[in-house]
Amino acid sequence: MRDPNAIDFWRGLALVTIFINHIPGNTFERYTYSQYGISDAAELFVFLAGWSIGIATRDKSGERESVFRSVQRLLSRTIEVYRAQITIMVLALAMIAGTALVLDNPLILEWHNAGGFFGDPIQTVVGVALLTHQLGFFNILPLYVVLLGVAPLFVIVARYSRLAALGLSLALYATSLVEEWNLPSWPGDGDWFFDPLCWQLLLVLGFVLEDWNRRSPLLRIWARRLVPLGIVIVLLGIVLSVFELRPDPLLVPEPRLIFTFDKTYLTPARLIHFVGVLLAFHLVYAWIAPRIGPAVDYLSRLGRNSLAVFSMGSILSLAGQLVRFWTGGGLLVDVLVVGAGLLGLGTTAWFVEWRSRKPRVRA
Amino acid sequence: MSRLPALFVALGLLASPVRAETAPPADAPAKPAPAVVSPPAATGADAADTSLSPECRVPGSKLYTLARLAAVKAALKEHRAVRVLTIGSTSGAATSSASYPVRLETALERSLPEVDVVVEARGLQGEIASGAAERLRALVAEIEPDLVIWQVGTADALARVELDAFADALDETVRWIKSHRIDVVLVDPLYTKSLAQDEYYNSIVRKVFEVARREAVPLVQRYEAMRYLSAGSDKGEAHFLGRQFRLNDLGMRCMAEHVTRAITLSLLQPDATGSGNGPIVGKEPPKDRPATEASPAPAR
Repeated sequence: MRDPNAIDFWRGLALVTIFINHIPGNTFERYTYSQYGISDAAELFVFLAGWSIGIATRDKSGERESVFRSVQRLLSRTIEVYRAQITIMVLALAMIAGTALVLDNPLILEWHNAGGFFGDPIQTVVGVALLTHQLGFFNILPLYVVLLGVAPLFVIVARYSRLAALGLSLALYATSLVEEWNLPSWPGDGDWFFDPLCWQLLLVLGFVLEDWNRRSPLLRIWARRLVPLGIVIVLLGIVLSVFELRPDPLLVPEPRLIFTFDKTYLTPARLIHFVGVLLAFHLVYAWIAPRIGPAVDYLSRLGRNSLAVFSMGSILSLAGQLVRFWTGGGLLVDVLVVGAGLLGLGTTAWFVEWRSRKPRVRA
Repeated sequence: MSRLPALFVALGLLASPVRAETAPPADAPAKPAPAVVSPPAATGADAADTSLSPECRVPGSKLYTLARLAAVKAALKEHRAVRVLTIGSTSGAATSSASYPVRLETALERSLPEVDVVVEARGLQGEIASGAAERLRALVAEIEPDLVIWQVGTADALARVELDAFADALDETVRWIKSHRIDVVLVDPLYTKSLAQDEYYNSIVRKVFEVARREAVPLVQRYEAMRYLSAGSDKGEAHFLGRQFRLNDLGMRCMAEHVTRAITLSLLQPDATGSGNGPIVGKEPPKDRPATEASPAPAR
């Protein structure tokens, strides 16, 4: 088991944030950092996944493993994530249907996109297996499956030139923004909630920056120099989100996705804000880690077991939503729901480590 | 708004079908619009609307409130296709012919002969009060419809978001859509017995009603319609999942018809004179509300 480190810590924080934000309407939602910026925990999560691929595809001495080994590793991880997505989708649908039956309340069947499944199970079950039918809040892992699936391409290109990998990724991102390319939802109209063609940029960025960070002191020097710029961007993000200032998507010029704040397409404003967050906070871990020991241990443990914790977090946040609806909510319920959830996330991470008892490098 | 008048509105909404019988006939249009729809039911507003399928028949007063649909009318006048964006928890899925968007497109094309109606259906993840309103804007910008049919309130009710936060966000979003000369029809959330006494849930339904009236947009009262259907449909045939689920099934099947009815009747609303910005529903008596009832008039 690796010691607490910045990557696991921030990933743990992203996991906790996603868990809390996926219980909409709860009291603690307004205290997560997602409410105070243009980008949110999803960006952090995907970026760190890319960074982790960089770490995972090296051996302990820092030498890159063979291309074949890396591709094999990524493929195996893709399958693992797919399996997790199918498992939590089945559990979620069963929880929704079960609650609707127990409470004799068909309203619950309309829970974020689940109505499609219960209305037309024949087509929709195919969509679930194809990942083209996604429940609300259960759409990050499908993105992750696609990203890990295409990651070998970027990893191979990066063996020859990191700049080429980044260029390829940027070109795909820019074209998808201008042309509004996205993967389709099915059955039904519409597209994926997280457009993999755009979000791949964050994964590749994480992967390439990890490499540069390791090799060249220049990146670290400049990141340090640009901390003030990062702080300015973060402050600007706080102002924009608190006052809900954002461009009107019907008034911006074409191609409009260049200008809007759109999560689906990871529009430039979100990307710039996220880079600002990175710059502003990349030195913070070293400073706070000694001061908040137990929290660092807890969050790092979550981060080390991110797939299991994320999956359990999805289930627990859905359970939290159902409990809030059933009981009517309120501060006490929120404290119990979120408290039990955080305990559940910690227990999940502990359980996974207890069961494996050997370090496993995760992509 | 204080809670008390709002409660009276709810009492008005929940009045039994029998009480509503006294309401005057409504829906006599001052001037027929271009001949696009069959005339509205000449019967009283509280007789079941016979233009609907037998199992979906609900009196107009329990089914809709009407308002002008300027953008759709303009599209009809220009003889171009009417682009409709439906948004809602169940409309985003299922392309089988039985599904709501397909039913809606068929029903609208039947009511508006020789008009091409293109229905785009999208699901909307999340709550209006947090985030979903933003995504709705992105969807509207992407599709650029003439009309948005918005099934609203379910996600917010499930998350039990604060009532005022919900109403404010809904109001603001409806105003935004209208500001871009796009029509809006709101559809409130479903009725089910286990929620009939849930004060919070009823308040959500009421908030949708209030916003529809304030912003002068047509409202399809899915809640009231299903409540009406639930009273009449107790045939004792046990659905596998229980009666509330069967009712929901029926509500789903009827929704396309109900929405179509509200739209076609709204298209018959006379154009306002003058600036045309005034809330039409406010000027006229709330014709589809049981206004002459003994219960206090809803607060404006």
